[in-house]
Amino acid sequence: MNLKKYLVRALHRLQKGPGYTYKELLVWYCDNTNTHGPKRIIKEGPKKKLIWFFLTLLFASLVFWQWGILINTYLSYNVTSSLSIGFKTMKFPAVTVCNANPFKYSEVKHLLKELDRLIEAALERILQPTPGNVSENVSPPLDLQLWNQIPLVLIDEHNKDNPVILDIFETNQTAGNETTANNETAGDDQNSVSNENPMQNETTAGNQTTAPPAPTNTTTEEKKYKLAVKLCSHQGSNNCTYRNFTSAAQAVTEWYILQSTSILSKVPLHERIRMGYQAEDMILACLYGAEPCNYKNFTQIYHPDHGNCYIFNWGMDEEALNSSNPGAEFGLKLILDISQQDYIPYLSSAAGARLMLHQQKSFPFLKDQGIYAMAGTETSIGVLVDELERMGYPYSDCTMNGSDVPVKNLYSQYNTSYSIQACLRSCFQNHMVEICGCGHYMFPLPEGVNYCNNEENPGWAYCYSSLRSSIKQRQICIDSCKETCNDTQYKMTISMADWPSEASEDWIFHILSYERDMSTNVTLDRNGIIKLNIYFQEYNYRTISESAATTIVWLLSSLGGQFGFWMGGSVLCLIEFGEIIIDSLWITIINVISWCKGLKQKRARARYPDAPPTVSELVEAHTNLGFQHEAVGALPRDEALPPEPGTPPPNYDSLRVQPLDVLSPDSDKE
Amino acid sequence: AATAPGKKITARLKRTLPVRGPQAPTLSELMRWYCLNTNTHGCRRIVVSRGRLRRLLWILLTLSAVGLILWQCAELLMNYYSASVSVTVQFQKLPFPAVTICNINPYKYSAMKEYLSELDKETKKALETFYGFSEGKSKVRRSVDEWNSTGSDFFQQIPLLKVEDFSRIATDLRSGQKRKIEGSVFHKDSSIVNSGDSNDIIGFQLCDANNSSECALYTFSSGVNAIQEWYKLHYMNIMAQIPLETKEKLSYSADDLLLTCFFDGLSCDKRHFTRFHHPLHGNCYTFNSGENGTILSTSTGGSEYGLQVVLYIDEADYNPFLVTSTGAKIIVHDQNEYPFIEDIGTEIETAAATSIGMHFTRSRKLSKPYSDCTETGADIPVENLYNKSYSLQICLHSCFQKAMVDSCGCAQYAQPLPVGAEYCNYKKNPNWMYCYYRLHEKFVKEQLGCQQICKDACSFKEWALTTSIAQWPSTVSEDWMLRVLSWDKGQKLNKKLNKTDLANLMVFYKDLNERFISENPANTLVILLSNFGGQLGLWMSCSVVCVIEIVEVFFIDSLSIVMRRQWQKAKKWWNDRKRARPGKPPQAGDVERQGHDNPVCIDEDLPTFNTALRLPLPQDSPLPRTPPPNYSTLRLETAFTEQLPDTLELGRH
Repeated sequence: MNLKKYLVRALHRLQKGPGYTYKELLVWYCDNTNTHGPKRIIKEGPKKKLIWFFLTLLFASLVFWQWGILINTYLSYNVTSSLSIGFKTMKFPAVTVCNANPFKYSEVKHLLKELDRLIEAALERILQPTPGNVSENVSPPLDLQLWNQIPLVLIDEHNKDNPVILDIFETNQTAGNETTANNETAGDDQNSVSNENPMQNETTAGNQTTAPPAPTNTTTEEKKYKLAVKLCSHQGSNNCTYRNFTSAAQAVTEWYILQSTSILSKVPLHERIRMGYQAEDMILACLYGAEPCNYKNFTQIYHPDHGNCYIFNWGMDEEALNSSNPGAEFGLKLILDISQQDYIPYLSSAAGARLMLHQQKSFPFLKDQGIYAMAGTETSIGVLVDELERMGYPYSDCTMNGSDVPVKNLYSQYNTSYSIQACLRSCFQNHMVEICGCGHYMFPLPEGVNYCNNEENPGWAYCYSSLRSSIKQRQICIDSCKETCNDTQYKMTISMADWPSEASEDWIFHILSYERDMSTNVTLDRNGIIKLNIYFQEYNYRTISESAATTIVWLLSSLGGQFGFWMGGSVLCLIEFGEIIIDSLWITIINVISWCKGLKQKRARARYPDAPPTVSELVEAHTNLGFQHEAVGALPRDEALPPEPGTPPPNYDSLRVQPLDVLSPDSDKE
Repeated sequence: AATAPGKKITARLKRTLPVRGPQAPTLSELMRWYCLNTNTHGCRRIVVSRGRLRRLLWILLTLSAVGLILWQCAELLMNYYSASVSVTVQFQKLPFPAVTICNINPYKYSAMKEYLSELDKETKKALETFYGFSEGKSKVRRSVDEWNSTGSDFFQQIPLLKVEDFSRIATDLRSGQKRKIEGSVFHKDSSIVNSGDSNDIIGFQLCDANNSSECALYTFSSGVNAIQEWYKLHYMNIMAQIPLETKEKLSYSADDLLLTCFFDGLSCDKRHFTRFHHPLHGNCYTFNSGENGTILSTSTGGSEYGLQVVLYIDEADYNPFLVTSTGAKIIVHDQNEYPFIEDIGTEIETAAATSIGMHFTRSRKLSKPYSDCTETGADIPVENLYNKSYSLQICLHSCFQKAMVDSCGCAQYAQPLPVGAEYCNYKKNPNWMYCYYRLHEKFVKEQLGCQQICKDACSFKEWALTTSIAQWPSTVSEDWMLRVLSWDKGQKLNKKLNKTDLANLMVFYKDLNERFISENPANTLVILLSNFGGQLGLWMSCSVVCVIEIVEVFFIDSLSIVMRRQWQKAKKWWNDRKRARPGKPPQAGDVERQGHDNPVCIDEDLPTFNTALRLPLPQDSPLPRTPPPNYSTLRLETAFTEQLPDTLELGRH
């Protein structure tokens, strides 16, 4: 019983809101809330009341609308960028220098001898107008095995509709009847001519002379002969592709690269390093700021495109060097020798040094970002570091260190950091291994895979070629790779001058030759020597850094601003509103309970003859009773209400009245 | 209760009347009422505070808060049209830009012989006369010998003169006559540094054909510039008379210029190039011009995947006076842009491989009211003569051409023709050269207004180029390379190529990152409003509601109180006048009372508790009233007033 009393008391306390009906509650809320509009509604006359009611409604809806916009803005995670330009002491970039030619020709000659003889003979055949001039009997027989793996063919387009495919070394020609339709599309982007015509057809139509006839002198006509590289999925297969070229020079270069790749891939790495240019041969002089340096300050790295490359200030083992002064005097000065006489003639036609500036601990992708330095010149490179610092997810889709990219980074074996180029190349190599079964020579190998070569993988060139031109494969790689969040670029201002000058030529060559091999003979010449100056410009950095445009603080203050602007409200007002909702819930509960009670009573009352008071009357009376304790001198009207004789007080209300009488002092406080 | 029906009627009438008076009878009452009831903080303190000092303090604080709000809000408004810059980097497949390649020499010299032989002869003669220079070649010698016999138009039109600076006497090249220079002297390229040696000064005189006394002498510090400029004038004159089709034939064909082409690892040929005739550079070829609707794109960066071309620069066929350098000019531009190759082209060296790494940046500015740029150029009053999208350069050139047509009557050769105009030449417009020089000078000095009219475009694409050069072909590969290239070429031309006739060019994306720099509005209306709200709330806990309150109280209510006062005065005055005449004495205070009673309890349809409590009732009310009701009773009533409409009367019993 005691417990019940206590519970009832607690219930009443909880329930005790500012009113016992919805209306009372609303009026009380409007009068006492801190939100600005509602107070006016009840303070004014009926006309103004209406106006204020609509104004309040309007403002409330405005607030909610604007809040929606603000929250949307916040969720779009915008960023603001700030730009700063100036000079500060910065890490000097890592400088990679390579020779454009990967290996010394004198060292690799024994490997490429056969190939060179082949291409020379082929060129002879192509270029010579009459076949009789070719003196094959003098030279030892050519290794046609090598040739037949990836042959070069001539396409005779004298007859547009029926191009004839001529093999250079075989005395046959193929009437490409079935290639006709495909050849029409030649010259578009997809230049490859797929030849369904099998090899065995070659012998059937061999009634013409072997070598191409003398070029016609008519300038107005179309080009009659094209060189093409024939790629087959495996030797003797019908599945062949002709990659044709508008220019023979291009075709020869491509063919030579394919062949030499196959040969060199069989050579072990240490042997390849030995065949390349050695640091002491290449780097003749080095000066960083006022301090002398030499080839020992360079880290050697083997680059598939360019052979031995040397990196200055890579920061792998020692701390990166800082440069605190702008200008050529405080930069890196190098003198290089590229010894052009020792170039592989067919592999690289451009001569010079290839160099690249990059961040410490990153792999140099010379084909993408490298620049050339010309022999016989002094090349000055002013550097501006262009940094972009971005915020990661969710602000922008970039990766901090590449760990969340679904491509295995093959360049991690060099201990280098992630970059988008590394990702794309790794992605390509992974595809290559997956599809062709071997790795391409230009990219690092995944574990347990070998480089492609003609003996073990006869169809690799075909496979590689189709993979390389596949748009789908590229798109997959583009989609799976992400750029890095911190992007550093070195903007270079390049200028050149002739070096050494004619007057100084003699002594410079003399000294440099002497220093290199202690001989008095001049072993250097203009075609091999390069001077490089790399230095910071007057403004050496430009940093664009991102910061979040909308933080949670911004969101809250903007929300508050909006609420305050239209209605003068705050979070407390929201709590007030919540309180009112709870109160109205209570009122609902009470109403429902009393309605139920009323129903019960009505059933009980039915036995009485008198017309019973309605339920609402009863409730009204009792609820009003609740107020009586507050108004000490109760209303005469209420007092005048006659007590209902004979009606037993409803259960609930009786409960309520009881504690009120008992607890009147403390309820007053509330 | 006896007079109830009448009062009831008036009360009902007032209730239904659309406009009712303010809450307070006097202005000070109104202010007091406002201060007590307003939602704005501060005002209430002024009224509630006791003591003069404290009240003054609160007045000061409130006023300074108002001041602060106004100041801050003004700042917010002024900064509203500011833009913030955002940089986004997107790694993606990039559209390859259009690459326009021209030979520096516009037309084959051998083909131009028939048009230019006259001019060349005279140029050589001039060289011989002024500098004692003569070419040792027999073909030149022959033409020089013939010179005296042929009549020369060119020297009559615009003679080359040797000027003795201080005496202002010039020696005519042809006649050897000395004549006095009239008019102004312009130093074309050395207005700052005037060479002291008077013998070195050479120039030409341009006269207004209609008025021969109006002449301008253009002098040059170096004969090289003078001869070239002079040659160019005549050359443009001649070229203006040749129709376009002929000119296209005189210039290089795609087969002439392009030896090999390689794009994205695949072979390409002249079909991928679009011819574009440039008035100063002859036939230029645009790779990937997007003319056939497709724009090539690159999905891999690096030199292998870009455009690689070998150009054939036929050095032997160069015009010796027009161009003095050898090579090609290229420009990287958007497909919609006009290639201003003479302005921003990059020159390519022969016997070298030029590798051009590109980095793509797209920029976008906000147009009005943030900055003064134009989106499409449609709002610029200059007609776009080029068939390309708007750029500042197009606008300036078009503007100049328009001014040229307006003032000289013909169009300048280097720019496209406006509708209905034709290019200037001597035969039709003998005056044009003088006119052109005058106009050009005005243009450079910004007197034509072109620079004021033309605005820069709001969005533009930019390809930052990193150019580097390597020797090509290398000494060891030179032999086979030249042989094979000759074979390529030799199918049409039977001669071995020289490496100084060749240029290798590589254009590629360094990386596929697109940098997009865009301006965004730093403020939106939502943010502005919330900033306003923040300021108002911070200093005074004010909102729009308060502003409406202020408007209501200070403007509407105050005004109506003042109006009522005036009206009552007028009425009183009228009544006084009436009373001065015989009439029944009016009930004193009747009017007054009405004013007082109106807002408080009686005429207002429903007294709220607060109004009843806070506004002092008129003390000297003649009618005995019910004592002010108890708090709770009234409150209870207000809650049920509408349910029980008779409570009012009930309370008044």
